[in-house]
Amino acid sequence: MTEQEIIEKVNNVFITAFEIDAAEIRPEAHIFEDLGLDSLDIVDLVVELQKSFGVKIRDEEQVREIRTLNDIYGFIKGVKAGKGGS
Amino acid sequence: MKQHRVVITGTGVVTPFGRGVRTMMEGIREGRSTVRRMDEWGEYKGIKSRVGAPAEVGDVKHIPRQKRRSMSPMSFFSVFSAEEALAQAGLDVSAIPPERVGVITGSTLGSAVAINEFFEMVLPHKNVEEVPAMQFFKCMSHSASMNVAQYFGLKGYVMATSAACASGLQAIGTGYQLLKLGLQDVFLCGGAEELHASVTGTFDLLYATSTKYNDAPQLTPRPFDRDRDGLVCGEGGGLVVMETLEHAEKRGAEILAEITGYETAGSGEHVSQSDTESMVRCMKGALRESGLSPSDIGYINAHATATIQGDKAEADAIKEVFGGVTPVSSLKGYMGHTLGASGAIELIATIEMMRSDIIYPGLNLQNVAPDCQGIGHLSGPQEAKLKAVLKNCFAFGGVNTAMVCVKP
Repeated sequence: MTEQEIIEKVNNVFITAFEIDAAEIRPEAHIFEDLGLDSLDIVDLVVELQKSFGVKIRDEEQVREIRTLNDIYGFIKGVKAGKGGS
Repeated sequence: MKQHRVVITGTGVVTPFGRGVRTMMEGIREGRSTVRRMDEWGEYKGIKSRVGAPAEVGDVKHIPRQKRRSMSPMSFFSVFSAEEALAQAGLDVSAIPPERVGVITGSTLGSAVAINEFFEMVLPHKNVEEVPAMQFFKCMSHSASMNVAQYFGLKGYVMATSAACASGLQAIGTGYQLLKLGLQDVFLCGGAEELHASVTGTFDLLYATSTKYNDAPQLTPRPFDRDRDGLVCGEGGGLVVMETLEHAEKRGAEILAEITGYETAGSGEHVSQSDTESMVRCMKGALRESGLSPSDIGYINAHATATIQGDKAEADAIKEVFGGVTPVSSLKGYMGHTLGASGAIELIATIEMMRSDIIYPGLNLQNVAPDCQGIGHLSGPQEAKLKAVLKNCFAFGGVNTAMVCVKP
């Protein structure tokens, strides 16, 4: 999976599952402060990312440090490259 | 302790007829059935009844995502009913102390749809990892109360009355009692329920559902009729805005009805069989509290779901209390049995009848059953100068409720 495919798939989760306007999707967007997600949404974000990418990330420590879309792109890239997530 | 008088100033429903009280009353006036064949239930094995009365949720996008995410259909039914009721009441809840406004809704089991979704996700591998965060919030018995409270920013009593078919009337009755005591100034009270194959399936197992009219769905259910063969599940929501009389008068609200009597009582006997003695006790209790005698009641809205035993037990109870003169009908022929919502939806329809002085017969009552005779079955719409009406709901677990409302 290419980096661009990862970015598009992550963005698609925010657009479809969280109804975020495509115009608000920027790599540096803060998922809480800019995109309006809250702690309950993070549970669902994990579920959606697991479904989208076929990975298990729920117990990953790094998940708790995610703040921006860039953080998610990098995290998923690492997981897919085998650096984390079973 | 001072006891306040309690009035209803707004009503709202979502029924199998569609959204709104006016839509429901048009359907009743035109004698239409909303029951249809539920071919989609064919994916379940063993369900004999293939009839139901579904309601549409419709467009929900105007509800912000973070309010909407915990709502299943029953919460949407409740929120839309609340919007209609508050609009009719002319009440802006943001303009009154929120801790003095409560909400009580009743439902048999919370969201049947969400509960089934949950187990479809988790079973057969017993894996909870893919269950969305909000799923449980949709499942909970008090899901509709919670969502109405969050949506309107209500900070008073938030409660749920779970008593099967009596849930909605218990919600309204409990709100009435709390307002009488002055513990809140305003309540939004009612009930909601969802139609699902698993719910009908459960009644099916008990031989309580209608199974002979699968190819003629609009001929069932048939409350009090000689050819009745069981209940038909429906869905929807109904909610009333209730206030103390002082609160309503102070803001110049139009009063739709006053609640003057409410009783709820158990049979203490059997979990599913109807019990005439406790139904009688319940109706007499509501009358006693209202200070009215049976002859003051101009119309009885019956629970009658078209089960063989339940309709007979209720007919016997009505005969004992009221004799054969007081007009009676059940509305379940039009909309099916909306379970936890039925007490609220049908009370609202009853209040509309009282306001318009026209009472409507039950649908599909073509031949009164021999075991249901001796009470004032309506055979057609009738003009009636109504001063007071009585609503019954009788539920699994031997739970009985009755409420008296009077014209203001």
